[in-house]
Amino acid sequence: MSRARRHWAMLVLVLGAAACGGGAGGGGERPLTVAMMPKNKGNPYFASCRTGAEEAAKELGVRLLWDGPTETDPAKQNEVVEAWITRGVDAIAVSVENKEAISTVLRKARGRGIKVIAWDADAEPDARDYFVNQATPRGIAETLVSHAARLLGGKGDFAVITASLTAANQNEWLRQIRAVLAEKHPDLKLVDVRPSDDDRRRAFEETQTLLKVHPQVRLIMAIASPAVPGAAEAVKQSGRTDVRVTGLGLPNDARPYLKDGVLDSAVLWNTKDLGYLTMHAAHALAKGTLKPGVTSLPAGRLGTVKVDGDQVILGTPFTFTKDNVDQFDF
Amino acid sequence: MTYERGLALCLLVEIALFSAIGWNFFTAGNAGEIVRASAEVGLLALALTPVILTGGIDLSVGSLLGLCAVVLGVTWRDAGWPVPVAAAAAVLAGVAGGGLNALLVARMGIPPLIVTLGTYSLFRGLAEGITAGVRSYSDFPAPFLTLGQGAVGPLPSQLFVVGAGAVGFWLLVHRMAVGRTLRAIGFSPDGTRYAGVPVGWRLAAVYLLSGLCAGVAALLYVSRLGQAKADAGTGFELMAITAVVLGGTSIFGGHGGVGGTLLGLATLAVLQNGLRLADLPAELAGMVTATLLLAALGANRVLEGRSRA
Repeated sequence: MSRARRHWAMLVLVLGAAACGGGAGGGGERPLTVAMMPKNKGNPYFASCRTGAEEAAKELGVRLLWDGPTETDPAKQNEVVEAWITRGVDAIAVSVENKEAISTVLRKARGRGIKVIAWDADAEPDARDYFVNQATPRGIAETLVSHAARLLGGKGDFAVITASLTAANQNEWLRQIRAVLAEKHPDLKLVDVRPSDDDRRRAFEETQTLLKVHPQVRLIMAIASPAVPGAAEAVKQSGRTDVRVTGLGLPNDARPYLKDGVLDSAVLWNTKDLGYLTMHAAHALAKGTLKPGVTSLPAGRLGTVKVDGDQVILGTPFTFTKDNVDQFDF
Repeated sequence: MTYERGLALCLLVEIALFSAIGWNFFTAGNAGEIVRASAEVGLLALALTPVILTGGIDLSVGSLLGLCAVVLGVTWRDAGWPVPVAAAAAVLAGVAGGGLNALLVARMGIPPLIVTLGTYSLFRGLAEGITAGVRSYSDFPAPFLTLGQGAVGPLPSQLFVVGAGAVGFWLLVHRMAVGRTLRAIGFSPDGTRYAGVPVGWRLAAVYLLSGLCAGVAALLYVSRLGQAKADAGTGFELMAITAVVLGGTSIFGGHGGVGGTLLGLATLAVLQNGLRLADLPAELAGMVTATLLLAALGANRVLEGRSRA
């Protein structure tokens, strides 16, 4: 046999073996496969979501694929989705990092009959079937104001530390906070809103200023996550034991101040429940029970969850306190 | 057995393995996806082959891709130029970036590692500066998007661009006298100069070509993702260099070629894709790539030693 022919023989042999093995997993009863993608695999926030998703997958008998970028290349999320389309999954759930770019490939997935869910951060509306929304602005505002009312005994002055004065999310929350105050707690007064520019040190300085300018303020509400530890540190250093802090923040930032007692509570959503609900929504969507017109979704231990149009709502935000904060690590 | 045959065998084993354990791996559709996903890095790797053959390096190609993508977005949406003109401007920006590298390496004689390490930061910095780091450009017209998302029959459109690039670089490196002088420069720049070869012009040409390819790769990237942003192509330079070196081109210059680069690229692209379709974590790709690279180059050392003995 000549040398060249021997190479060809080897090629045919290998590719033949490949073609025979190509049917891996094909045929027979196969479990539903749901592919879930975080923005970033290395972020503890998403690791926490994953534990919830795995819990739901076990309950539902779903095969969960969890993959996503570990680096900053913005094309990576697209490549992972492309691979899932080729692999053939039943549903894809993505926490969107880059809206325009990912939507192209999500539309392609829908075109191939794969059900698509956006969770945590939304894609363009026509690129997904449903968005699993972790918290509505109204829900966040109601929870924050209820903490304020509890801490101030239903009457008194408080001030807000926001992100920047132009931040869209924060301004929407502020609008809702004012609406809730007007409806339910007319005796609570929001006396000042100061910017922190998402910077812990800036929040620290602004809080110091606030305490001097408005000595009657008994509560600081920090509605940007770096502002929570910043405001808490300022109150702690001022020695004012009559002033408390609440806000919207991450458990690891909040932990030391919750333990100190300076920080009363930090509001966010329960990340485990977010992963858990997303898996339930993806399962229901693939089974055909979650479809246009449906207004509620049974979601295991979360009970029945509200569906509003094309959004599945996780429900009331979750409050981290000194008693439960140690169950979370992100 | 030559190094390239060994690498080809390695690729075949990889394909057989993933066909057995992956879902829908051994399909025409997936072959197209592999080509699509690796086209931009492929073009950069092709352009880097002659650069590395001369004993040089170009670390700026990924950043330049990002800058060209931004130029495309700015000239098309902000300046209102038609897409073909904006695309030409983006490619020209690539040539200009390559020209800067060429000037500094060939004219000023600064080591390419230092020059392109500098322009690596410069080009990315410019791209981020122009867009303030956050602005992105999308909603490109459909005809432009077919470049990155379309197909002719089962063949993805990128295949034609990368194919043309591969043929062009193969002719340049392996069939033209210029190609031989590039290797000669890799072995000994001074010797080549004494032999009467215009070393400066040859070096300038390979860096210009590298810039040109970064510009074209930017078009492929933007049309594939439908979005132009300053972080386009982050890390592509290292993937491209890995493909070239895995393909058997010596990082010191002189040895290697375009065929090896294509094999190296395919080996890496199939690995990434196969791991995903086999439900294995993509992080494994890093470890397997490292093992492949070290094993392949180690084996090459042994082979070389034997042929010399």
